[in-house]
Amino acid sequence: MGILYNSGTVLIIVGLPFFLSGTIGLIRFPDIYTRLHALTKADNVGLGCIVCGLALQSGSIARTAKLLLIWVLVLIASSASCHLIARSALQKNIQPWMRP
Amino acid sequence: MASWLIGGPAVLITSILSLKLAPTSRYSLSIVGIVRFSIFFPYQSFRGGLDVMGRALSWKPRLDPGLISYTTSLPQGAARIFFVNTISLLPGTLSADLLEDHVTIHTLDHTMPIRENIYKLENHVASLMRLSIPAQKKSSS
Repeated sequence: MGILYNSGTVLIIVGLPFFLSGTIGLIRFPDIYTRLHALTKADNVGLGCIVCGLALQSGSIARTAKLLLIWVLVLIASSASCHLIARSALQKNIQPWMRP
Repeated sequence: MASWLIGGPAVLITSILSLKLAPTSRYSLSIVGIVRFSIFFPYQSFRGGLDVMGRALSWKPRLDPGLISYTTSLPQGAARIFFVNTISLLPGTLSADLLEDHVTIHTLDHTMPIRENIYKLENHVASLMRLSIPAQKKSSS
């Protein structure tokens, strides 16, 4: 129990910088497309780490399954909405930023 | 318990609707494919997260974006939709448009081996759904 709990804590701490860098990318990246990259990828990994950490701490299989289900649903929702945002940006003729 | 009053019927109605609306195509999943994919995917998305983190936190964000168009050989339906959605979670790529079998991919850095990575993903999706796709064709824009 102790080891499981502590490794869960480690995983949660590992997940936090991903969320932080997703947000920093959202602020620093130059256009809508690169910002989408930052948000979807970094946040999914961050959430994955936190969900795994919480699953290790949950101590019940039902709760673990629920947590994993949440992660999978968020993955589906975020990749689908990311695709839709990028698609409508392309259709509105928003040109991707290129390196000068 | 009261939440079941709303939740129960909502789940029932959406399930019936999605069964009615979805194209009737049957896919069989392969166990080996699932195992391979459940190793490949978390590893790749972790790399994708690290990649974005490195670029976002570096002193001057290292970006060299571009659009790539890719022709997929996966059949229409579940396989193609699954493929397009997973592209966005791999390192440096984001699916920006899908028209028939043409996928427009936005990449953070077009000096990365994007085509090779996408082809690898395509292969994984194919083996997941017991499909076979032709060997990698050389370029085409």
